[in-house]
Amino acid sequence: MTQTLTSRVADRLRAIVGEDQVITNPDRLVAYESDGLTAYRVVPRAVVLPETTDQVSEVLRVMHGEGIEVVPRGAGTGLSGGALPTPDSVIVGTARMNRILSIDEQNRLAKVQPGVVNARLTEATAPYGLYYAPDPASQSTCTLGGNVAENSGGPHCLKYGVTSRYVTGLTVVMADGEVVRLGGAGLEAVHGLDLVGLFVGSEGCFGIATEIEVRLLPKVESIRTLLGIFDTMEAAGHAVTDIIGSGLMPAAVEIVDNATIVAVEASVFSAGYPVDAGAALVVEFDGTEAGLDDDADRAEQCCLSAGATKVIRATSDEERIALWKGRKKAFGAMGRIAPDLLVQDATVPRTRLPEVLARITEIGREYDLKIANVFHAGDGNLHPNILFDRQNQEELERVEKASREIMTLCVSVGGTITGEHGVGVDKRAYMPLVYNEVEMDMLRSVRRVFDPDGRLNPGKVVQ
Amino acid sequence: MTLARSLRSALPGVSAREWDQSNNDVIGLGGTPEVLIRPVSTEEVSQILTWAGEEGVGVLPLGSGRHVGPVGGGKFVALETSLLSGVDEYEPADLTITSGTGTTFSTVDATLREHGQWAPFDSPGVNERSMGGFVSEASHGPLWAGYGSLRNHVLGATLVTGDGRVLRLGGKVVKNVAGYDLLRPVVGARGRLGILTSVCLRAFPLPAHERVLVLKGAKLTSLIEPALLAGTAPVLPVSIVVVGQLSALDGSSALVLRLHGAESTVDADQSAIEKHLGIPLDRLAEQEADGCLTEIRDRGGLEPRCVEVSVLPSRLSQVVAAADEVGVAKAVIDSYAGRLRMGSSDMSADAVSTFRGAVESLGGALRVTRWDGVTRPKDTSCRGAELQIAQRLESIFDPAGVLWPARQ
Repeated sequence: MTQTLTSRVADRLRAIVGEDQVITNPDRLVAYESDGLTAYRVVPRAVVLPETTDQVSEVLRVMHGEGIEVVPRGAGTGLSGGALPTPDSVIVGTARMNRILSIDEQNRLAKVQPGVVNARLTEATAPYGLYYAPDPASQSTCTLGGNVAENSGGPHCLKYGVTSRYVTGLTVVMADGEVVRLGGAGLEAVHGLDLVGLFVGSEGCFGIATEIEVRLLPKVESIRTLLGIFDTMEAAGHAVTDIIGSGLMPAAVEIVDNATIVAVEASVFSAGYPVDAGAALVVEFDGTEAGLDDDADRAEQCCLSAGATKVIRATSDEERIALWKGRKKAFGAMGRIAPDLLVQDATVPRTRLPEVLARITEIGREYDLKIANVFHAGDGNLHPNILFDRQNQEELERVEKASREIMTLCVSVGGTITGEHGVGVDKRAYMPLVYNEVEMDMLRSVRRVFDPDGRLNPGKVVQ
Repeated sequence: MTLARSLRSALPGVSAREWDQSNNDVIGLGGTPEVLIRPVSTEEVSQILTWAGEEGVGVLPLGSGRHVGPVGGGKFVALETSLLSGVDEYEPADLTITSGTGTTFSTVDATLREHGQWAPFDSPGVNERSMGGFVSEASHGPLWAGYGSLRNHVLGATLVTGDGRVLRLGGKVVKNVAGYDLLRPVVGARGRLGILTSVCLRAFPLPAHERVLVLKGAKLTSLIEPALLAGTAPVLPVSIVVVGQLSALDGSSALVLRLHGAESTVDADQSAIEKHLGIPLDRLAEQEADGCLTEIRDRGGLEPRCVEVSVLPSRLSQVVAAADEVGVAKAVIDSYAGRLRMGSSDMSADAVSTFRGAVESLGGALRVTRWDGVTRPKDTSCRGAELQIAQRLESIFDPAGVLWPARQ
């Protein structure tokens, strides 16, 4: 049962951030009851929307003094319940901290507030011939603060790596309101531990990042995108193994299965994928114009040798967008065929993909659940999407059992329970599949280094 | 009872012998461990560290023994990882390789090359380094522009904490966000958080072709500007370094660029970079390139006294101007990373301290990577709250201070 915030505390918060930036109206608080994982919903006591590091610091000092739990929240697009409130908590949202503070063209750096939308940073740096590489599927809405908290990936992290590779420095507000600067470009030789790397991916449990310094890359000259159509998922999996094994380094390698293709083609996002195909494989190369056709030719040959029935190559930006459409709109399309969607996330060694996918199909059958697979095949990052209706309690129980079996399967072949969505509340129960008690204790101890009282994002990752 | 006898009594199966004094010259400790212990397994490392904690003895991890810093006072033993060796797991199609930390980098790299892959980390003397030492130092070299920091490519590790707890960190997959990333502070911690017993590294496909391009110059300083300009070209070389007095180039200083890819790609890349710079570049023949690259790789990392500096690339010229007294004429400067490495046998501690002050005033940091003298200059250290967090972190990984107090 959510407790209301006392007027005394609410007034103190309003004095810091302004009258309109503290939300206590129950009707408005409902908008914050979940993030992208809607299976869990809890209404917070209040939402505070600061605009500066100083305001975040003052707000957290009040929360610390009052012993109130704090849940940091970015755009709320996370898929593991990482921004799920507790009944006792106040959400500190970073939506208004949306300024790009600086773009340093010469050193290829940008400094941003956490509420800056991922894609906006790339747009803002484009005039300098630069871009920000991590590109989570939600990049048009997710924010850099959330990306830092979750160590977000994206289709192109096969070649370019995940968020932690690009964050060079952080200004962080700790649970007690103390402002700490971690790292910074030019300070790599400092005699110290990589605390920036540790903070990235800490899911809001260590502090709230209020300024983020990131490395930018030069814009790529050209892109080649292929779409391979396969009768079976297994054949598509073999094509991926052949492409990577041949020494090619694609920027992205993505697969959607038949269930996903059918959902996409029946939706407003129809991309022209054949609905009888077992799988569609998107392969993208980027770099110098001169070498790209050779790379694309070799990848096409890998697809055909693995049994592709058709390989289409985009010859314009419009065609490239069209080829990607079936992959990028997959999650949106599934909303049409089931009331609820559990977007699972796990990683396995790439060579184990075919057997894991076959077993996931069996698990779906055993639990009488529809599972549609969309995944970053190049780095073995699976997204088995379980379609269900959360009003159906019995079906929800089957979803939970199937999820656990999928996670157990992925860990058993040398993989892990999350590749890019984070643990949040959704995967917390699966952590013992990966870690023994000694290791779990160490995770708890490290959390206490940053937040001794455990009031920042309680109930997430480990308890 | 001597430490050796105490150890043999407590752990009779563990290989331990009196320290051979001649080793002192090799690693320049400035102190002497009483015993050399050579564990054969993670379990033995755990037992040794537990024993050390009970006995109040410091433990100095040794890999190849070439990059060990000096030690402070107190009793300590050396734990050599050479028997924790061998490639444990390698699946070429997964581009991952797991090895014991006593394995030399060259063994790992040779295994990869048999399958057309490699580990593109060219830090000084890398081939002779143990994987444990290599990862503990987060060593990297001039290929940073193309491949990035080693921190991004260590996928997993087994670590024994100072009090003997065994932790499996990370995993064998590239994308992994299950729990806090404890691996990140361990890589580059120089053994302060524990002793690594195995590491899993990401491998890369060998480039089909490598081209080495040079622009010679009379002075190092005149080459920094074109080097910075090369970093803004539409095509990013995998390495952009300025190096002083290269013997492989008859003592010339040079801007050295490396391109990787298919031959047609590097042809086009070369043209694009030359157009961007507005000057033609000389292409080195294969044999000449090999000598040049080996010299660049090792420069500033194997001499008796070596320092490494990081700074924003835009401030490199100012750093170089402040580095006359520490032998900048023979420096290696990675202009894309903002890194500068220098080494000599006669660098003075006072000159390094003065230089460190200049670097810090420019917003950079200096680290002493090797020092054979007693009065080792200090590194740039993190400060304030960041330092406190680091210290609290160290205390939970090594509660009895077994691993670090033995060092300066």
